[in-house]
Amino acid sequence: MDALLSIWHSSGLYNLTAGQVVMIFVGILLLYLAIYKKFEPLLLVPIGFGGILANIPQAGIAYSAVENALYFGGAEVLTEMALLLGSATANVAELKLLIAEAPASMKAAATLVAQDAGFNNGMLYNFYSIAILSGAAPLLIFMGVGAMTDFGPLLANPRMLFLGAAAQFGIFATVIGAVFLTSIGVMDFTIQEAAAIGIIGGADGPTAIWVSTMLAPHLLGAIAVSAYAYMALVPMVQPPIMRLLTTERERKIVMSQLRPVTKREKIFFPIVLLFLVALLLPAAAPLLGMFCFGNLMRECGVVDRLSDTAQNALINIVTIFLGLSVGSVLVAEKFLDMQTVGIMILGIVAFALGTASGVLMGKLMNWMMGGNAINPLIGSAGVSAVPMAARVSNKLGLEANPQNFLLMHAMGPNVAGVIGSAIAAGVMIKFVG
Amino acid sequence: MDGILAEGFSLLLFGMGFVVVFLTLLVFATSLMSRILVRFEPAPVPVAAKKTGATAGATAGAAAGATAGAVNDPALIAVLSAAVKKYREDRNSH
Repeated sequence: MDALLSIWHSSGLYNLTAGQVVMIFVGILLLYLAIYKKFEPLLLVPIGFGGILANIPQAGIAYSAVENALYFGGAEVLTEMALLLGSATANVAELKLLIAEAPASMKAAATLVAQDAGFNNGMLYNFYSIAILSGAAPLLIFMGVGAMTDFGPLLANPRMLFLGAAAQFGIFATVIGAVFLTSIGVMDFTIQEAAAIGIIGGADGPTAIWVSTMLAPHLLGAIAVSAYAYMALVPMVQPPIMRLLTTERERKIVMSQLRPVTKREKIFFPIVLLFLVALLLPAAAPLLGMFCFGNLMRECGVVDRLSDTAQNALINIVTIFLGLSVGSVLVAEKFLDMQTVGIMILGIVAFALGTASGVLMGKLMNWMMGGNAINPLIGSAGVSAVPMAARVSNKLGLEANPQNFLLMHAMGPNVAGVIGSAIAAGVMIKFVG
Repeated sequence: MDGILAEGFSLLLFGMGFVVVFLTLLVFATSLMSRILVRFEPAPVPVAAKKTGATAGATAGAAAGATAGAVNDPALIAVLSAAVKKYREDRNSH
């Protein structure tokens, strides 16, 4: 009878909490969106599954050694931890708080106590600390993105960079939105959290993850999920805004064919970009450095094997780890609160504002260049989300005029948006980090 | 509470300002780079540019290269039109 009872007490069903049930359903919802609605499946399948794994009771897959020891170690381990941390009561919640605030040496000691008691980091926690806490995964993905990016359309018409700059307005306007909600008392965000939420408007998954790791790691789950979910919604969010802000005549503008770009220009561009970053904003150097490195591997033509690995095998491997690691932070106590709701709402506002300011900048540039040079539809592609946003511009252009192919023209602002959001990320980290 | 609002606005001003300044500098740097590189590009470019100018008026001004592919080759066009002319003459003479 005792044996039966102990099996029951260690079963998942007995230990399941309400929060875990909700989070497992969130994980299933993400899987549904990825599999049936094709929402960024490459990211949302690992994130959703990681979320389910992280919420399996008693397994402790997403916990560190210390957390596992606190939750499952029993009174003996708790007393030992309390002794180490100088706490009078052996209370789990209080000990967790003490450890979170403890200096690194104390954390290491607590980890050793946990390991002596036979507890270790959960698998997902290990992935999380290697892939995300270290900053490695988003940067490696950026390298792969660099290796996939063709700067040809941008080099043919460098003024497209202005559209990429304008679309970043969404990021900063959302920061204002978040601090405004805080100042009227609806939400409670710090300036760091507001900045990390704003970067969702950059429509760039790795950038958003990188910034939130630096500025607000506790919001990482919500920010990553909303960034990828909204990137998948680009074809639905953008068109109404684009139609609203442009006239029929503007949508019909056919742009002149782009000049061909030489191989040398493509080789020199990442180096010029890197120099400019090094001179002006070293805080963005990790992101754009890896990006430029990937792009140089692609364009220089002598390391095709490396370039191929960066844009295929490596980026796939890193994506698996990144997705599972993001999933591991989808635990009830971090995800189920009002902040997540606020992040979801602010995230879509960021997207909409970025799209709108890109289109308006396109109109302004078109007006300045005589009214028949730039189709403002390509402005919306400045929010990055490569290549989805460019495809949306192309689709709306074809609707207005079946002979109007804007795809190549929209790729210019699209890759400019990637640079722009990385710069915005660097500025955020420099100013509020 | 107003402190955070002020911080937000300064982030908006500095941040957006910096993004615009940086990308503007990048526009200049890229244009300059392209101008220098195109100037020092070896022979093929001027030849290709001449071909484009001679044949396709529609793309005049575009600075060369791929548009001047085999289709716009004047020699090829001359050969083709001579062949068509010969074919028509032969057909008419029957």
